[in-house]
Amino acid sequence: MLAFTIFPLAHTLYLSVETTGLSGNRFTGISNFVRLWNDYRFWSALRVTLTFVIASVLLTVFIGTVLALALNRGVRGTRAFRTLSILPMFAAPIALGYLGLTIFYQQGGPVNNMLVGLGLRALPWLANGNWALVSILAVDIWQWTPFVFLVVLAALQSVPLELVEAARLETSSSWAVLTRITFPLIRGPLGTVIILRIVEAFKVFDIPFTLTNGGPGIATRSLTYDVYTTALRNQNFGYAASVAVVMLVLVMAVAVVFYRIYGSAYE
Amino acid sequence: MTSRSEGPNTSGAAPLAERIKNVAAGAILILAALWVLFPFYWAAITSLKQPVDVFHLSFVPWLQFAPTLSNWKSELVYRGTAIFHGLGNSFVIGLGACVVAMALGTLAGYGLSRFRYRGWRNRDISLFFLSQRFLPPAATILPFFYFAQRLHLLDTRLILIAANATFTMPFAVLLMRDAFHGIPIEMEEAARVDGASTLQVLLRISLPLAAPTLVAAGIISFAFTWNEFLFAFVLSYSRAVPMSVVIAGTQDVMGVQFWYVSTRLLLAILPPAIVVLIVQRYIVTGLTLGAVKG
Repeated sequence: MLAFTIFPLAHTLYLSVETTGLSGNRFTGISNFVRLWNDYRFWSALRVTLTFVIASVLLTVFIGTVLALALNRGVRGTRAFRTLSILPMFAAPIALGYLGLTIFYQQGGPVNNMLVGLGLRALPWLANGNWALVSILAVDIWQWTPFVFLVVLAALQSVPLELVEAARLETSSSWAVLTRITFPLIRGPLGTVIILRIVEAFKVFDIPFTLTNGGPGIATRSLTYDVYTTALRNQNFGYAASVAVVMLVLVMAVAVVFYRIYGSAYE
Repeated sequence: MTSRSEGPNTSGAAPLAERIKNVAAGAILILAALWVLFPFYWAAITSLKQPVDVFHLSFVPWLQFAPTLSNWKSELVYRGTAIFHGLGNSFVIGLGACVVAMALGTLAGYGLSRFRYRGWRNRDISLFFLSQRFLPPAATILPFFYFAQRLHLLDTRLILIAANATFTMPFAVLLMRDAFHGIPIEMEEAARVDGASTLQVLLRISLPLAAPTLVAAGIISFAFTWNEFLFAFVLSYSRAVPMSVVIAGTQDVMGVQFWYVSTRLLLAILPPAIVVLIVQRYIVTGLTLGAVKG
C-alpha cells in the first residue's frame, strides 16, 4: 500500500521538472511551472475547477444534510428511498455524461421542454460556457448528494435518542435542538463528508469528458481534464505532472486549512 | 424505526405541528425520489427507442413512440458475452477491493479513534490517508502501469483490486474513525473489565455499533470501484476488463450510441442494486443495536 502511495507521488514530482522531448526526458528545473504561469488554459481550468468545487460541495452537502434530517423522522417509505438513493452512486459517470447529452439537448430535450412548459425560456445548456458548467454541476449533484445523505443519515441514526428527547423537554425550539445537540454530535462525520467531497470535486473529470468534452471551447475544462489531455493525448508528461503538482499543493492547502478551521474534533 | 417516529410525539409538542412536519417530510421524500428516478426512467425509455427517435422528445412508450426491444436484443445476443464478462469482472473487483479496503480501513479507523501514536498527531495521520486521493488519476496512472508491468499483473483482476482498494481505503478509514469516535468509550471499558481483549472489544462491541457506517462506507467503496474507469481502461485489455470500460465502448466511429449507453447503464446498475437490497437488512440491524446504547 505504501509503495502504491509514495511511488506515484515521487514519480509525479520527478516528472514535473522534466520536459518530454523526442529524445526522452531531460531536466528543465522550474520551466514547466513558468510556462504554467503564462498559460491561459491553466488559469481557465483553475477557475472552472474552483467554481465547480465550491458550488458542488456547498450544494451536495446542503441538500444531502437537509434530506437526511427531513427523513430521519421515520416517515413511511424512508427505507425504500434510502435504497433508491444509493443507485445514482452506481451509475457510471461516463454513461451519465452521454445520457446527459440527450437530457440537456437544446431543441426539445426534456429539461428545456419542462422549462418552456413552465413558461420559461429554453436554455442553451451545452452551447453556453456557463450553462455547460451548470449542466455538469447538475449531473454531479444528482450523483453525489446520495453519498452525503447516506453518511449523514448513518451518523444521525447513531445519535442517542434519549439526548434529543431530553433536549426537547427543555426547549420547544427544534432549531435549538438541531444546532446545540444534533450538529455537535454529527460534527465529525459531517466534516469528513465535506472534506471527501472537496477532494473528489477537485478531480472532476468523467462528466465534463463525456457531457461537454471540456467545451464549448475550454469553458468546462477542469484541472484533471487538463492533466489528462496534456499527458495521455499530447504525451507531454512533464507539463502534465506540473499541473498535477499544482493541484496537489492546492488540495493539500485546502485540506490543511479545513482541518484547522473545523477544529480538533479528534485530538 | 417505529420508535423513532414516535419520538417527537412523546415530547409533548403539538401533534398538529408534528403531523404537518411529517407531511412535509413525505413531500420531500416523493420529490427526491422523482429526482433520483428520472434519469433512470429516461435511460429506460431511451433504450426502447429506435435510433431516429432518440432526440425526439417523448416520455410514454406506445402512446408517443413505438417501443422496440431491438437494442436490448442486439446487446444481449451479439455482445452478451462481453457485457456479462464485464459485469462479472466488475463484481469480483468491486467486492475484493471493498473487502480489503473495509478490513484495513476499519482497523486503521479504530486505531485513529482510540489510540495515540508517537511522533504523529492523529489528525495528521488522517490527512496522510486522505492525501492518497489528492493527485488526479491521470497523473498517477503511469507509475501504476510500470508497477503492473514489472509484477506481471497487467490485465489481472488482482491489480485492479489492489489499485481500487488503495483508492477507496481513505474513505473507509475516515468514516470508520468517525463512527468509532461516536461510540461511548465507557461501553468498551465495561467489556474490558469483564476480561475482553482489544480485538474482542472491537469485534463484539464497537463494530456492531458502528454497523450503519460500516455498511455505508462499504457501499461507497464498492460504488467507487464499480465506476472507476481510467485505471481499468489502462491496466486491463481483455481478461480483466470491467463494466465501466465496456460502457465507454459505446462510443464508436458513428458517434455516441445513446441507445446502447442506456442499456448498459441499466445493466450496470442492476447487480449493485441487488447487493444494496441485500445489505439493507444489515443497516437496520445496526440501527436496533444502536438504540440499545445511551
